[in-house]
Amino acid sequence: MKLFNNKSVYLLIPALLFLLLPLYGFFAAIVQSLSGGSGWTLEYYSSLFESSRFLSAIWFSIRTTLIATILSLIIGVLITRSFYPYLEHHVPRLLVWLPMLFPHFVWGYMIILLLSETGLAAQLLVEAGVITDSSAFPIWTRDPQGIGIIITYIWKEVPFVILMLLPVYSSIKPGYYDLVETLGGSKVRQFTAVEWPAIFPVLMEIALIVFSFTISAYEVPALMGTTFPEMISVLSYEWFYGSGWEDRPMAFAAMVSLSLLILAFSAAGFSILQKKRWRAMRGRSV
Amino acid sequence: MSKKWLLLSVILTAFLAACGNTQSNESDFSEVTEQSWSDIENAADGTTVRLFMWGGDEGINQYIDEWAAPRLKENYGITLERVPMETAEILQKLQTEKQAGKKDGTIDIIWLNGENFKNAKENELLAGSFVDMLPNFQEYYDTDDPAFQTDFGTATEGMEAPWGKVQFVFHYDQSKIETPPSSFEELKNWVEKNPGEFIYPNAEDFTGNAFLRHVLYAQDEQPSDIYEQPLDEEDISGTADKLWNYLNEMKPNLWRNGEHYPNTLTELDRLYSQGEVSMTMGYNEARAESLIDEGVFPETTRSFVMEPGSIGNTHFLSIPFNSPNSEGALTTINFMLSPEAQLAKLKPNYWGENTPISLDKLPKEMREKFESVERGESVLSQQKLEESFLPESEAGYVEWIQDQWFNEVVQQ
Repeated sequence: MKLFNNKSVYLLIPALLFLLLPLYGFFAAIVQSLSGGSGWTLEYYSSLFESSRFLSAIWFSIRTTLIATILSLIIGVLITRSFYPYLEHHVPRLLVWLPMLFPHFVWGYMIILLLSETGLAAQLLVEAGVITDSSAFPIWTRDPQGIGIIITYIWKEVPFVILMLLPVYSSIKPGYYDLVETLGGSKVRQFTAVEWPAIFPVLMEIALIVFSFTISAYEVPALMGTTFPEMISVLSYEWFYGSGWEDRPMAFAAMVSLSLLILAFSAAGFSILQKKRWRAMRGRSV
Repeated sequence: MSKKWLLLSVILTAFLAACGNTQSNESDFSEVTEQSWSDIENAADGTTVRLFMWGGDEGINQYIDEWAAPRLKENYGITLERVPMETAEILQKLQTEKQAGKKDGTIDIIWLNGENFKNAKENELLAGSFVDMLPNFQEYYDTDDPAFQTDFGTATEGMEAPWGKVQFVFHYDQSKIETPPSSFEELKNWVEKNPGEFIYPNAEDFTGNAFLRHVLYAQDEQPSDIYEQPLDEEDISGTADKLWNYLNEMKPNLWRNGEHYPNTLTELDRLYSQGEVSMTMGYNEARAESLIDEGVFPETTRSFVMEPGSIGNTHFLSIPFNSPNSEGALTTINFMLSPEAQLAKLKPNYWGENTPISLDKLPKEMREKFESVERGESVLSQQKLEESFLPESEAGYVEWIQDQWFNEVVQQ
């Protein structure tokens, strides 16, 4: 009974109630991916990991997502630390957050209108005489490298990174910078000694949020992606809504594998944060 | 720790158990169809009928909302609500409702054919047989037409009523191309001479898949070898090799060197309207008319078909197993099959789509009205369409092409 005497269990109840439907969905997906014609089977998972299409999709997804996440974080940190005194004011802050108002799908379309081979950017460059005709414009949307997907996500996630980082930066006491300077520390030292300990736990959380969202979201890769390689969400959608319903367990197996991958990444992230020194530092500055 | 998991699994099991029972509605539906037709029409008066259908074409939507709905209201007292949804998602919704044992659904009529019909029939998502009781079907349609008996090789068994008929055509810009290719061999040569000017949609796309089936027909000595037989991968392996060879030889000369295939027909249409490619295609012989009117396609757009022919199919209206208003659904479908409704559908101002009705069975005056409809300059003549008509193959080919195309063409 010790478990129920512990108050923290009651704190879980709202979360559990909130998670009831998603958890049920996840549970049902596991069941569907494991049930064969009669009884339980692992055949869908084994054919999944033998399918070169799935393996290249998962590799492409992880690679694209990691690039988009890391670049969003770097750009977000650079903008926040350079401009946070201005970002305290309403108008610049609203300007930075503007992309957050648009759904991902709409933002993706805007990128296509802007950067496709016949898009606005190509036409402006032709007008300006930089390139001779629009076919000389590089292929940045629906490209096999995922550039269009990465650009869309960076543009959408950087404001989110700024949103999360602003309170951290405004809580750093200016005195710390002076302290490093007085002791002869460089600009780099100011960043590593003052800012990094404060922002690292937050960066980790942002990275996990952005990574989990990006790797499993469907609309942007469906719009911006090419035929091959494809993102895992697009492949699962095709298996699920494809012509026959025989591939459906494969779609469930793929999504369950993806969920496990995200869980693994989250567990790794949290275990790093759980290390005492980060907790101690976080307690001091946030 | 174990108690928490126990609690969790009890909750989840309870949830699963609540969703496990399924019940058949067949008896209810046969009670409805046993009534006399006038009883059904009376019962439908004053009710609401929800028609779930693919909503991606403005002309089709306007035909339903502006032409059909007001007349249904006036003549039968039925309020018709059109709900736009992808057909596969409609079936998924029905499948979920079936698993959850929900006997009173929200869908009264669905619009479907081919693989969707096969999935719906196999998963028992449809109410049952009803076509033979529709007065308009009996009076104006050739009830024994094989095009109504099977749907992409699946026996319809009266579970869906023929609503329309379409045929696949290619579109080109007259001002750019003088004479379009007349066979698939010529198409390949044309693509070689005009690199980057042609592309077809992804095999997952409805239109892209139909294009690939045309190529498959063209690679076989007798297209009837394909459409008269269920899929046997060993039997057609020779033809299949030719198919992949044809596509791979064409690939380097496609738009973007065949590295990206448009995900949807809309994407291909946009490339065509921007002049990036010189041809597009579609599974509706008259669809260019409205696109020209809207200014999307150039006015010089015309259509063409190639040897060995062009594939056509019939599409249908059906009633799901848990329709809350079967009487209303039957009355509405009967109205949709009427000569008046079919004539309005054929006229190019809304939809401009061909009709499955038998012109011979119509009264003389009505027949003349059908024959005098001008479908527009971009539509091929009825005679040309009929001469080139090829039936659809079994639904299994669609899926086979999807899988194989990805392995044989994209990943090469």
